[in-house]
Amino acid sequence: MKQHISRVARDSARNTAQLIDRFLHEVSRYSTALLLLMVFCVETGVVIFVIRDLRAADREVQRIYAGSVLGLRGIGELQYQAQETRRSTLYALTTNDSNLQVAYADQSRAADRRVTEGINDYLAHARMQREVDVGKRLQRDWSAYLKVRDEVLASILEGSTKEAVDFDLNGGVPSFDRVRQDLEEVKRLYDEQASQRLAIVDESSRRSAIRLVGVLCFTLLFVSVSVWAIQKSRMLSALKLAKLQMDFVASVSHELRTPLAVISAAAQNIADGVVDEKEQLAKYGGVIRSHTRQLNELVNQILSFASTKAGRAHYFLRPLQVSGLIDTVLHNTREVVKEAGFVVEALVEPDLPEIVGDLSALSQCLQNLIGNAVKYGGTHPRISLRAFQHKADDSPFEEIRINVEDHGIGIDSSDLPHIFEPFYRSPVVAAAQIHGTGLGLPLARSIAEAMGGKLSVVSKLGVGSVFTLHLPITAKGDRETATLTPDSFIRQ
Amino acid sequence: MKRVVGVWTSVAVAAVLLLPVSPRAILGAASQAPQAETSGDQDLAIIVNQSNPVDNLSLQELRTVFLGERSHWPNGRRITLVMMEPGFAERKAVLREVYRMNESDFSRHFMQGLFTGEVFVSPKTLASPVGVRKFVFNVPGAIGYVRATDVDDTVKVIRVNGHLPDDKDYSLRIQSRPAK
Repeated sequence: MKQHISRVARDSARNTAQLIDRFLHEVSRYSTALLLLMVFCVETGVVIFVIRDLRAADREVQRIYAGSVLGLRGIGELQYQAQETRRSTLYALTTNDSNLQVAYADQSRAADRRVTEGINDYLAHARMQREVDVGKRLQRDWSAYLKVRDEVLASILEGSTKEAVDFDLNGGVPSFDRVRQDLEEVKRLYDEQASQRLAIVDESSRRSAIRLVGVLCFTLLFVSVSVWAIQKSRMLSALKLAKLQMDFVASVSHELRTPLAVISAAAQNIADGVVDEKEQLAKYGGVIRSHTRQLNELVNQILSFASTKAGRAHYFLRPLQVSGLIDTVLHNTREVVKEAGFVVEALVEPDLPEIVGDLSALSQCLQNLIGNAVKYGGTHPRISLRAFQHKADDSPFEEIRINVEDHGIGIDSSDLPHIFEPFYRSPVVAAAQIHGTGLGLPLARSIAEAMGGKLSVVSKLGVGSVFTLHLPITAKGDRETATLTPDSFIRQ
Repeated sequence: MKRVVGVWTSVAVAAVLLLPVSPRAILGAASQAPQAETSGDQDLAIIVNQSNPVDNLSLQELRTVFLGERSHWPNGRRITLVMMEPGFAERKAVLREVYRMNESDFSRHFMQGLFTGEVFVSPKTLASPVGVRKFVFNVPGAIGYVRATDVDDTVKVIRVNGHLPDDKDYSLRIQSRPAK
């Protein structure tokens, strides 16, 4: 059970790591799309910002409008009720009927209660000192008027009309005038505040407009720069690709022409009868075979890479013994290594677990690495080929690593990021007349990734290079599945 | 001739003031119909304005006030007498207990008194207890009467002979009679 859980966890982590690798790979491939995505995100952000700003301004305007309407209504109501208080009092003067007079007095008192409430409400909501002052003055003047009004009402109800009129003229009119002035002052204050609020809204609107223009300018600039960057990036990529292809064509032509020239010269010598001794004929035959193989390998490499890029590479995955893979690689590279005068020291850790992969493809991958080691091995004709089980620090699972180490010219640090790019050839090796197509390492990496692994390199200029093929260890279940249903492991 | 006209004018004014014309039709819902006299005595409260300093009147003083023979309160406020319309049990109780008159004597008393100048106050007539209460509330020198149950805190109830309504020895009661 524990083993099962451990295996599931290991598979899950491996899948996650593969997903991250794939994501990074896609990111590097689709930089233009990412840039466009970024532009889209910025645009979306700008739109959200503008909408938020507009909505905030709209809310502020609505709040001010509602405040204005309510405030005006409140002031209007206060003025109306104050007039109603006085009007009802004066209506009482127009009749001798005590019942009607009482009814008018009632109306007047109801109106004065509403005015008093309105004034209290105004004072409760007053924020500025001027509002408080005016509100208190209004409260005072209103109380003074009500005292006079009470006397007037009492006189009317007593039937002393003349006395009531005298009271009203001498006390009621002046005190009500003061109330009216206070109410006008309240209204004026309110108008001033409304004007200030309007100015604030105006300022806010102006700020919004400036912000909007600023943001649009920024967006326009950003988009322009982005488009320019995309175009430039594409142009540079196209130029780089064109240069690489030109280099590739030149290189391939050279690689093809050299063995063809040798084969042609050898054939010509044999045909002309220049070579007639058996030993010499055998020597010429060996030369022709060697160069034919070289041509064959070159063509195969180009075709393999082309099919990889076109997505037509089919791999037949099956469980493999690492030692078997190493044996195959050593066998296939035996002649090349021997002709170059190199020695491959193979060291395979005993009892290594099985891996799942395509024998031919993995063999091709390691052959390319050994070929490179021979090509760039310099004056130290010794190549190490080591296979071992290893657990990386950043991974909870173990893997199989196969190192190909040479002690040759090494790789400059500025070239390291580019050596896996198709057609890339370091200027140093090009200048040193070391032939190559620039496809060996890209092809090796494609194969490694197709097998669920990866290819890494550590190199130091003048010291040598170590290329490492990382391959995941196959779980028991995977092995069984791979054995039982090999078709399911055919991948593109 | 002028003197005759003056006399008739005074009589007409008094008649208008005492005219038992009901303003209920004008006031509508604000007025109340005279309450049917129900069985069980109820106390009649004498009410004055809250600002009135008087708290107690003897029945004789009350009679003097209601007869209009006293013009001002001790605080200098003019006395305003408030009556209810004829037909109200409260009015009947006041006529019986305070005036000790019937309606005709009451009318005659004020017509003659105003004409001769012996009466200083002309009573105001209200169509409902609520009207009476509101009148008294609005007029500092007003005095009126309502059932004790119609009293609220807008007016002040004064003692009569030192007694308040509901006191055992309170003398002003609305006589009970079976409902008609």
